[in-house]
Amino acid sequence: MKVKPLLIQDIKFQYKYGFYFLYLVFSVFYITLLYALPVAWREKAAILMIFSDPAAMGLFFMGAIVLFEKGERVLDSIAVSPAKPYEYMLSKLVSIGVISTVVALVIGFSGGVIANHFYFIAGVFLCSCLFSSVGIILAAKITTLNQFILATIPAQVLINIPAIAYLFGWKPFPLLLHPGVCMIELCENGTNALPAIIILILWVILVAVLAEKAVAKMLRSVGGFKL
Amino acid sequence: MISVKNLQFSYTRQPFIENMSFEVKDGEIFGFLGPSGAGKSTLQKILTGLLRNYTGSVIVSDTEVKRHDNSFYENIGVDFEFPSLYEKLTARENLRFFSSLYRKQTDIDYLLERVGLLHEANKRVAEYSKGMKSRINFIKALLHDPILLFLDEPTSGLDPSNAGRIKEMILQEKAKGKTIILTTHNMYDATELCDRVAFIVDGELRALDIPRKLIMSRGASKVRYTYSQNGREEGAEIPLNQTGEDSLLQSLLRENRLLSIHSSEPTLNDIFVEITGRRLQ
Repeated sequence: MKVKPLLIQDIKFQYKYGFYFLYLVFSVFYITLLYALPVAWREKAAILMIFSDPAAMGLFFMGAIVLFEKGERVLDSIAVSPAKPYEYMLSKLVSIGVISTVVALVIGFSGGVIANHFYFIAGVFLCSCLFSSVGIILAAKITTLNQFILATIPAQVLINIPAIAYLFGWKPFPLLLHPGVCMIELCENGTNALPAIIILILWVILVAVLAEKAVAKMLRSVGGFKL
Repeated sequence: MISVKNLQFSYTRQPFIENMSFEVKDGEIFGFLGPSGAGKSTLQKILTGLLRNYTGSVIVSDTEVKRHDNSFYENIGVDFEFPSLYEKLTARENLRFFSSLYRKQTDIDYLLERVGLLHEANKRVAEYSKGMKSRINFIKALLHDPILLFLDEPTSGLDPSNAGRIKEMILQEKAKGKTIILTTHNMYDATELCDRVAFIVDGELRALDIPRKLIMSRGASKVRYTYSQNGREEGAEIPLNQTGEDSLLQSLLRENRLLSIHSSEPTLNDIFVEITGRRLQ
């Protein structure tokens, strides 16, 4: 099991490459913004911030991490090491998921929106894993940051729009099958939190399996010799 | 250590590697020589288990590589031509991380000292010169004491002193019984290090033998000499195995009139060009 060394390396990488500093800057910015808003808006604004940023951060950060690793050719060495594709992916999901959850908790406490700690943490962490998996799938296939940013647009539209619509009151029951909506339902400690957590877990498993296949394919293509 | 039989591989419908067979013995340094795009990269990817959709048989360390699991890599070390290191981490941090991916681990400081980088180990890799990165990349392949090493241009970008140090380490690994696959454009490295070399062009093995045998099989060595004749410098060239029959050379030797004399042999590059019609560099 190589998850532990990979996880330690991912945390070290994210620290050295300034990702945690960025999280800190964003957190301070969001909390300041939250306190500048009228109290009546604060709850929805906090949920929206948590959904669109700490939870979705994995999508962008994962792209940046994989592109850095491709650029520095370290994936070549990982491809010919005993580390398995799922271990590589899992360490990234967990490292991004944990920091996303910590930042979300800080914003959540500041906005006073955490009604059920378990659902809140599960919602943010699982949603982060989902976004990170989507990020890995996209980053595995591309080589430049511009390509990556373009590729994230459809993913963001598909994940964000139904979730934002749900947050602002459009709540038909079938929408609960949408992973972003599940995260909103969990963070709001809604009446459908239990089915939401199950649906979100199923989504994470499905997308993580696809991400694992994308990683395996990427490692086969980058590893080896370039002559 | 490696047995390849009737290997065929293609990226498209056109065959790329066709009917390739060879064996590499335990403890041997085996060189692949060929121009860019010859198929060395593809062959190495197959041998390291990254490309599995080949036909024929490729057995590495008693494992058919298309059926390997990831423990297969516990015994394989790969030194890539280009550095594969986290630039913002120090050399030591890089080595510690890659070492942590393997069950077997060696002394990082010892390896750093061997390549003369012990005192630079806490510098970020981004601050390293090309040659320093190459040396770190090389010892990265040795971290888990693998029994099979794939080295891709290991002396590329190194000054003669450090290139010599790396070659010495390669020979020491061989002395420990390691099998080494060396991919290179550098005919001098290949001649100096390899027990056998294979010429690869267009996905085919065009020749496979001991470097010295390949060199000697294509034309004998020659002797060139110059001498003074009526105040002018003249020169002559004869095959090495005919010096005893060259009366001019005999008389020049007796009369001490030789200005210079030296033998010349074809290089591995000359042989490569002769056999394949292509240049290595």
